[in-house]
Amino acid sequence: MSVLELPSVREEGWRWSDPEAIAAAAAMSWSDAPVDPADYFLDLPGARIVVRDGEVDQAASDLHRVTLGHVEAAEHALGRRTAGPGWVLELAEDAAAHPVQIVHVSTGGSNHFAGAIRLADDAAAQVVETYVGAGWANRGLSVTLGKAARLMRAVRLIQAGGFTSLREDATLGQGASLVTSFLGAGAAGTRIDATIVAGEGAFAEYGGALLSAGEQRQECAVAVRHAEPNGQSHQLWRAVAADRSTASLAARVEVARHAQKADGEQSLRGLLLKRTATVNLKPELEIFADDVKCAHGATVGELDARALFYMQSRGIPRARAQALLTRAFVADALDRIGSVVVREAFVADADAWLAAAL
Amino acid sequence: MLKIENLHAEIDGKPILKGLTLTVNAGEVHAIMGPNGAGKSTLGYVLGGRPGYEVTKGSISFDGEDLLEMEPHERAAAGVFLGFQYPVEIPGVSNVQFLRESLNAQRATRGEAPLSGAEFLKVARAQADALGLDQEMLKRPVNVGFSGGEKKRNEMVQMGIIDPKFAILDETDSGLDIDALRIVGDGINRIMRKADKAVLLITHYQRLLDYVRPDVVHVLADGRIVRTGGPELAHELEREGYGQVAA
Repeated sequence: MSVLELPSVREEGWRWSDPEAIAAAAAMSWSDAPVDPADYFLDLPGARIVVRDGEVDQAASDLHRVTLGHVEAAEHALGRRTAGPGWVLELAEDAAAHPVQIVHVSTGGSNHFAGAIRLADDAAAQVVETYVGAGWANRGLSVTLGKAARLMRAVRLIQAGGFTSLREDATLGQGASLVTSFLGAGAAGTRIDATIVAGEGAFAEYGGALLSAGEQRQECAVAVRHAEPNGQSHQLWRAVAADRSTASLAARVEVARHAQKADGEQSLRGLLLKRTATVNLKPELEIFADDVKCAHGATVGELDARALFYMQSRGIPRARAQALLTRAFVADALDRIGSVVVREAFVADADAWLAAAL
Repeated sequence: MLKIENLHAEIDGKPILKGLTLTVNAGEVHAIMGPNGAGKSTLGYVLGGRPGYEVTKGSISFDGEDLLEMEPHERAAAGVFLGFQYPVEIPGVSNVQFLRESLNAQRATRGEAPLSGAEFLKVARAQADALGLDQEMLKRPVNVGFSGGEKKRNEMVQMGIIDPKFAILDETDSGLDIDALRIVGDGINRIMRKADKAVLLITHYQRLLDYVRPDVVHVLADGRIVRTGGPELAHELEREGYGQVAA
């Protein structure tokens, strides 16, 4: 294995990241993980792909319309390591595929793998990815959406240990729509890096909930660039930090000079379940056009002590009251998920996290 | 049912209750009246176990058990209900979910089986109807966007569903118009006026007592009960003011 070259935390974009956690995950000893990927597929038709330590387990997978091939990677500190063999979902004009589910199982050490989603004009797809096991799972994804193409993505980060790092680059054509929801509810460190370039009238929704406990550190660093007029973007993130964990959200909206009438919304909210935990929020706006609507909100707080006592006085034990209030806090990030099956899986993951953390 | 002896309690080191003694028997309704700052709400919170309200001396027993040894949710399961002067808004948690969690948590603490969704909804709808609370409000987040009167009705709906042994109702009449006052008063009588139950009504004015007739009226002033009498004492207070009676 080559020597790990990881970004320095002295760089602004990596100031809250945890390179040591990546190095430690990469050095995790290999084990036959007692993880059955079949347990993590949702009740949806379509492709079911098992990626085991960065390679597609063909015997355990039904690729459906997904093909395997070489995938380029973005020039990015972690993302560039994923270049090479990868998975590709390519849909022709007007095509609509059954959902694609990918379960990434890591059993220790480091693994790198890339994916590409290319939807021609008016094509539609849904992709659900789940990360389980332990080790360093490093992934790159490039998304290209043609005119009015629609992609719904859901990413469940529930590794029991190690680190999951994702680098995503998306280019949205005219009137295209990309909706991506993340849930970090495992025990691994997380870094979500993404750049989304929205074309004329494109719609981008990119957000989710990161639930952190123990010594865990999870973060996202996401930028949406409105390159053309009339685009709309929503970045709604919720961070919950218990114990001595850290959850960091850096979300950025860029509006190019001629991208008039862009509408960018950012809502970053953090909840500290313990005073020893940390939430970092960094909403950023960089606007060169003069006729835009960009709203951003960033708040960090604790659970409402009055609400906790009110619930206890009605018979609800304290830990359960905390869980209900915390779930309510992340609800607006999870309620947006359109697919009932996916939403229920996210809520179940969040509930399992709450039951364990509180 | 409830026996408070020589209770001293403080908030942030400031003494509020200074030797309060009170006994409430099953089948009785007691009213605690008193001027602002006398310690009425503090008494309610101490009985409910609110963090930050520290008991420095004295004892409270409920059905022979030491109430002060119990967590707030255990007090609820034992049969104590605290109706809030300012019911708390809980965005993101629906009334139905909150009430079902409450009822089933109490049942679990008592070792009883939980109610199913259908069984629970039947009980909840009946109570909402009886108190004139729109069924739609059961689906909304707890108290969010409710008017003052609706919040108080919602407290009574909760009390009806939970069906406690002992209710402490803190200024339940505030924020109610005259019709709502009658409905809430009827609700208290219907739910709580039973031989095996008791009520402690904390109130500043006597108007709720026109609907819920107390058996005993106490005047609380400066952290102590300074007078005890029958229902006529409430009228005397209304006529003469606290200054005279509490002096």
